[in-house]
Amino acid sequence: MSDFRDIVDTDGLDGEEEARLRRVHDLLVQAGPPPDLPPSLERTPEAAEAEIVQFPLLPRRRWAALAVAAAFLVLIAFAGGYLLAGSKGSSSFAVERVVPMQGAGDAQAILRISSKDGADNWPMELEVSGLRKQLHRASYYELWLTKGGKPVEPCGFFRVDGSTTTVRMSVPYDFAQADGWVVTAQRDGARVPGPVVLRT
Amino acid sequence: MRLVTSDGELIQRAATGDRSAFEDLYRRYARPVFGLALRRLGDRGRAEDAVQETFASVWRSAGSYKPERGPGAPWIYAVARNAIVDRARARTEVPADIPDEPSADAGPADRTEQSWVAWRVHRALEELPEREREVIGLAYWSGLSQSEVAEFLGIPLGTVKTRTRAALHRLSEILGDDL
Repeated sequence: MSDFRDIVDTDGLDGEEEARLRRVHDLLVQAGPPPDLPPSLERTPEAAEAEIVQFPLLPRRRWAALAVAAAFLVLIAFAGGYLLAGSKGSSSFAVERVVPMQGAGDAQAILRISSKDGADNWPMELEVSGLRKQLHRASYYELWLTKGGKPVEPCGFFRVDGSTTTVRMSVPYDFAQADGWVVTAQRDGARVPGPVVLRT
Repeated sequence: MRLVTSDGELIQRAATGDRSAFEDLYRRYARPVFGLALRRLGDRGRAEDAVQETFASVWRSAGSYKPERGPGAPWIYAVARNAIVDRARARTEVPADIPDEPSADAGPADRTEQSWVAWRVHRALEELPEREREVIGLAYWSGLSQSEVAEFLGIPLGTVKTRTRAALHRLSEILGDDL
């Protein structure tokens, strides 16, 4: 490390100014070099970025189109469920309700809810596409029931591989008390809902 | 006179969902947070996680920032420190041998002081124009003399001296009360 006068040209500086620059010099020496950022940190972090996603209310026409699409999916799901149930396969899943979810860009999901089973659980199937693959081993996504728009009841965890992912869950909650669903990006050990990446 | 938006203003704008404000904060603080995390955790992987967690927290908690209670830098420092402490707690500690003699390493108070200095200086460096930051990096941490810096960059020695002094002047304005 060079001396202050080896680095800084002090010609023409008054005493006060030189003292100030010398103090900056000392702080630079004390601080040491800043680290190089790894490639994974060159952009804003995944979790924070996910929460930056804006969820403007969809125009009425898009809501209408979504409602028609959802109704159509319900019809298809009912038919599919009926056929599956008819086959008595172990994977039978009779859909009672379909809930579309939207996120930023291409991120979207269809939540299919079956009728309550004998143990008072609601089987659900979540089909997700367009969500970014987790950058970290400890990252995952979580589906929540919302009240007042806030995630309150956890419904299940899942990870995605970048393409379409389908997961099944089962929850005992009373949906009448809820007003929607969200999917959040979670980090290892997080005990609270993370950034919202999909919502109804 | 500096016309750069203050950290506090950026935090307040981020609290309203302003993405560009959040990105400015990230640009200013990613390196200082990473440096702080590296020093505390000693592991690049966990330091990266701490940076991610810090900025997720900044985004989530920006609304809790109160400008009347102080500037933005200490607030972000506190958020980062919490994220780093969380990461440190998550680590499985290996029992250490008890040393026979007192350590010559800096104590907790000194380490905190060093961390704060590095935090402020690295944060201030982010505001320098690239050509001044480059000269400072080479002059202070590459081991090159001013003449060698000039040769390395292919610019006259006088330009290196001018940029160095201009950079220190700018840093003194940015660091302000810390001097």
